[in-house]
Amino acid sequence: MTNHWIDIRNADVILVMGSNPASNHPVSMKWILKAQERGAKLIVVDPRFTQTAAKADVFAAMRSGTDIPFLGGMIKYILDNNLYFKEYVAKYTNASFLVNPDYKGPGDLNGLFSGYDEKTRKYDKKTWSFQMDENGIPKKDPTLSDPHCVFQLLKKHYSRYNLDKVSNITGTPKEKLLEVYQLYASTGKPNKAGTELYAMGWTQHTVGTQNIRAMCIIQLLLGNMGMAGGGINALRGESNVQGSTDHGLLFNTLTGYLPTPAGPLADLKSYIEKYTPKTKDPKSVNWWANRGKYITSYLKAIYGSKAHNDNDFGYAWLPKLDEGMNASWLMLFDQMFKGKFEGFFAWGQNPACSGANSNKTRNALSKLKWMVNVNLFDNETGSFWKGPGMDPKDIQTEVFLLPCSSSVEKEGSISNSGRWAQWRYKAIGPISRSKPDSEIMNELYFRVKGLYQKQGGKYPDPILNLTWSYGEKGPDGKVKEINIHNVAKEINGYYLEDVYDKAATPPKLLGKKGELCATFAHLQADGATSCGNWIYCQSYTQKEGKVINMMARRGKADPTGLGMYPEWSWAWPVNRRIIYNRAAVDPQGNPWDPRRAVIKWDPDKEDPATKKPGMWVGDVPDGPAPPMASEKGKYPFIMMATGVGGIFGPGLVDGPFPEHYEALECPLEENVMSKQRINPTIKIFGEKEDAFYSCDVRYPFVATTYRVSEHWQTGVLTRHEPWQLELQPQQFVEMSEELAKEKGIRNGDKVIVTSGRGEIWAVAMVTNRFKPFKVADSTVHQIGLPWCFGWQYPVDGSGGDSSNLLTPTVGDANTMIPESKAFMVNVQKA
Amino acid sequence: MSTTPAANRKAILVTPEVCIGCRGCQTACKSWNQLPGIPTKNRGSAQNPPDLESNTYNIIRYSELPSENNPVRWLFISRRCMHCDDAGCMKICPAPGALYKTREGAVAFDRDKCIGCRLCVAGCPFDVPRYDKNNKVMKCHLCYDRIAEGLEPACSKACPTGALRFGDRDKLIESARKAGHEKIYGEADLGGLGSIFAFKDAPKIYGYAEKPGIPESVVFWHTVLKPFAVVGLGGAVAAALLHYVIVGPHREEEVQ
Amino acid sequence: MAEMVRKAKTGEIVNHWVLAVSCILLIITGYAFLFQLKQIGALFGGFNAMKAVHNWAGVVFSLSLLATTYSYLSESLHLGPDDREWLRKGGGYLTRDKPVKIPPMGKLNTGQKLYYLAVLLGGIAIAVSGFVIWFWPDGRVIRIVSHLAHNLAFSLFIVAVPVHAYLGSLANPGTFRIMVYGTVPLEFARKKYPKWIEEMKRK
Repeated sequence: MTNHWIDIRNADVILVMGSNPASNHPVSMKWILKAQERGAKLIVVDPRFTQTAAKADVFAAMRSGTDIPFLGGMIKYILDNNLYFKEYVAKYTNASFLVNPDYKGPGDLNGLFSGYDEKTRKYDKKTWSFQMDENGIPKKDPTLSDPHCVFQLLKKHYSRYNLDKVSNITGTPKEKLLEVYQLYASTGKPNKAGTELYAMGWTQHTVGTQNIRAMCIIQLLLGNMGMAGGGINALRGESNVQGSTDHGLLFNTLTGYLPTPAGPLADLKSYIEKYTPKTKDPKSVNWWANRGKYITSYLKAIYGSKAHNDNDFGYAWLPKLDEGMNASWLMLFDQMFKGKFEGFFAWGQNPACSGANSNKTRNALSKLKWMVNVNLFDNETGSFWKGPGMDPKDIQTEVFLLPCSSSVEKEGSISNSGRWAQWRYKAIGPISRSKPDSEIMNELYFRVKGLYQKQGGKYPDPILNLTWSYGEKGPDGKVKEINIHNVAKEINGYYLEDVYDKAATPPKLLGKKGELCATFAHLQADGATSCGNWIYCQSYTQKEGKVINMMARRGKADPTGLGMYPEWSWAWPVNRRIIYNRAAVDPQGNPWDPRRAVIKWDPDKEDPATKKPGMWVGDVPDGPAPPMASEKGKYPFIMMATGVGGIFGPGLVDGPFPEHYEALECPLEENVMSKQRINPTIKIFGEKEDAFYSCDVRYPFVATTYRVSEHWQTGVLTRHEPWQLELQPQQFVEMSEELAKEKGIRNGDKVIVTSGRGEIWAVAMVTNRFKPFKVADSTVHQIGLPWCFGWQYPVDGSGGDSSNLLTPTVGDANTMIPESKAFMVNVQKA
Repeated sequence: MSTTPAANRKAILVTPEVCIGCRGCQTACKSWNQLPGIPTKNRGSAQNPPDLESNTYNIIRYSELPSENNPVRWLFISRRCMHCDDAGCMKICPAPGALYKTREGAVAFDRDKCIGCRLCVAGCPFDVPRYDKNNKVMKCHLCYDRIAEGLEPACSKACPTGALRFGDRDKLIESARKAGHEKIYGEADLGGLGSIFAFKDAPKIYGYAEKPGIPESVVFWHTVLKPFAVVGLGGAVAAALLHYVIVGPHREEEVQ
Repeated sequence: MAEMVRKAKTGEIVNHWVLAVSCILLIITGYAFLFQLKQIGALFGGFNAMKAVHNWAGVVFSLSLLATTYSYLSESLHLGPDDREWLRKGGGYLTRDKPVKIPPMGKLNTGQKLYYLAVLLGGIAIAVSGFVIWFWPDGRVIRIVSHLAHNLAFSLFIVAVPVHAYLGSLANPGTFRIMVYGTVPLEFARKKYPKWIEEMKRK
């Protein structure tokens, strides 16, 4: 989330698209309803009339996988009717930037952008660049009228997304589209704020990243980024998913979204060179210019005294990705399926049910020599070898179950979607012989280390040089018990020497050797600081010598009245509650909306740091620099090298503007927008288990998957629990009355749902909540299934199996998140 | 005729328009009261268990109605004991203390005192009381054990949106009025309910009777037959006594 | 010793006592339920035990009532002109002029016949409704109707039973012994049940 949960209440219009908060984030509805109480309007766009839709002021049904045309139509509407926030667009976005004249869009190239190579299925992004002036600063046209400026290119790109076409693709009636567009575009006024809440309904598509990009463009056009009640808000599906991605869960990032080094970057210097964006514009903060400080402090944190200037701070010991290597979920299981893995740790997950195309996933597990399943309970993954269609005799995989403790059985922090890291305490000790994950890792680490010490091994350095000072060590050198506070402190980082601000005269002491770092602004590139995760620097800090766990704070003060509660827990970065908040004020530093002032420049107030008059009040600003219009002022979007919001986004692999492509499996022979039916840059998997079928009479209906309030993810935590099972006992499939009639299915009937990859049974829920879509002048039926069930529990098999047995092996072009929200199936009475 | 002083009386205010159907209330209730989860089936509706049961004190009813602008109007309505002031169940109950009013106006039950006659089921205007396999009454008791300690009931505690709000009955009514609800369902019915509803539309839209009442036969029994049981017996005995004194014993004539 | 005639067989005497005792037990426990009388409940060891007493007394009462049909039903159904006259004169109970002149009666007088019929019908109602309440837990309407029927019949019993007890004892000296011995002096019977005596003579 750019904003946070409570901030939803500040919105004037809330667009829920790609999520269903009433079912999946019930607490968020408290804030949505509070906003509505204030007079805010809730728009819900979804293929299905959801529990959230039940509370909507406007509901628009839309066929799965057509978010880009829906939003593209909105962009066109905003531009055609001059509803965008002109000053914001001109000054805070790259709308005025001039793009390479050789750039061509899908309107010119039949659905492709310039630079496409059919063989590699990749774009050469050379033409997606900005024109630079003689100082190396992007050329701009503040009047936004140059035909090569981003604004005009945007206009041209979305001029193709007219109401007729959009309606014909999405299946949403034109008047509904207009109603939504009109209402949402009303937030383009400076004193109005609109927010967007999305979840897996947007990400789990082959165009997932572009779905979100389309909304970013809208939010920038309407000036909603940085505003209280604005922003783009990803609702995380687990309480600590935010924390785990922050801490480098994904294959392509280390902690704090530092990129995982690629193989060819042989030393630290080339890593920093490659990943440090550059700008010559003095008004741009370009925060990522600090990359070198963050990676060095990270290396110091993990390798300690073993990391020093002479050995590149141990950079060589970091794992590297081969050039172009993708180690995302689908790739891993594809490789596993091909027998490329010996072993696998399934840690706190249940891929046998959660993985797209679960049949392939389950078969992949059978190719392993061993698997360690770390979970609260045994699950369909640990017991895959005795699952449906498996013959235990043929499976050699040795499975170990390591029971771990639940979150209430241990202390630590949990980061919510709003980036608040909140400290939690242990309620009870670990049950039976279960252990907290950290203790399991502790065991594992010392045993692996011991083996390396005893037997050598191929490359022991990364293991042997790792710091592990998480608690008191026994005579064997092993940490007896993990002190989770030590872990939190390592994440925050230490001053390893006295650190001075060398720019000040005389140099000012920033931090004393041995103390916890106060802010990432103090981190150093010369090894004088350590920091396990730069964005978490300040979470466990020291003030006047006193150690303070900021995450454990529970202060209830709300000085702005906007619900930011700056003394409650701690939010990354540096306790900023709304990121990009410099965009919430005009270039003079006055809030666009004085009633919802996130920050405000007070020219008279003395800044305690500089002892000079002039400082920001309100939220922690995105950098302390004075307002943009002043002499030393800076642009608002400090994480961008250009300093402004990217309407033109050349960073993605599949185009600088979102363009509509159908899902890999779709009901249409042709893309209404262009000749290019599917995203041209997605990876197509080639095993026969990866089969996909578009416009195939065997699989005529669009399907999507979703969660229910009553079950947690694949249900491992909830299917064991009779109270939850009682509420949602069985796999079901929701379908329209019309489809049910066509197929002779009655409400409550048992039906079989099949896709090109698998089949499951489900109980039919025949309902008006689904309606057939009028798409491309024909009728398209859509169905929906939850994915919380699995064959193992309930033990009598009455729950059914995972709907991921149906989903395809294909991912988003940028992130490889599987496309489980739009695929094709058939439904038949059992 | 309220039997609980208004100042003491607690209530739960249900606002269906604010309910999102997450059913945290159902689970919280079972958790606090340690009621077992029961095997159910999906019958083509999310509503489960289908109705109140001896081990299910509250449910959310999922109700789909026609709508002008949308495919459907979907309502989520809490169903629970109404904690009537003039409680039909208590009125008809023959066992002293089996059903009783707490200081806060909750209609609670005492399983040891329940004789399993199930008359309360017949006396309840809302079909709430249920019997377990030991033939003892079970129903929502407004978490009398929690509220006596100053806590709120488990269901409202778990409710994320304020669709269930617990508090002083007077104040809840006042706040619902302020929120624009002119009529509050249960404000005056049956002496005033302890579960009050802020409905936007007619009660029947939400599946509640416009004018809920204790069955007329039970009212007749209570107001006529019960007093008659005193008067009738007393009268008959008195009449016999009077007859003995005034008329005297019978003596037949000789047979002709 | 005066010549005696047997009006009630031993079985009938026993059954009447069974009926009377169960009926009184039912009335007492009924009152305890009706008004939640804790002290009475305590006598039975609590309301749960009292419920068992009430229910099983109800079974006894019902069977006993069934048995009475053998003895009294056909006689009670024979109502003639004498009965009308008897009723018109209020059975002679409403005058202080003694001895009273009433039409000749058989083994049962009109009042007894009507009382029996009322008790039989009320008894059936109270028994059936009682059994419904006991054994039919789920029918809401039928339980409500049964509850009403049970209580209406109860209203009848609590008036009729004391009156019957009075008439069978204090109001008619010499009749109570039938409940003990089953016999009455012939002379007494001649006065009280002339038609019955004649009938017996004819036989």
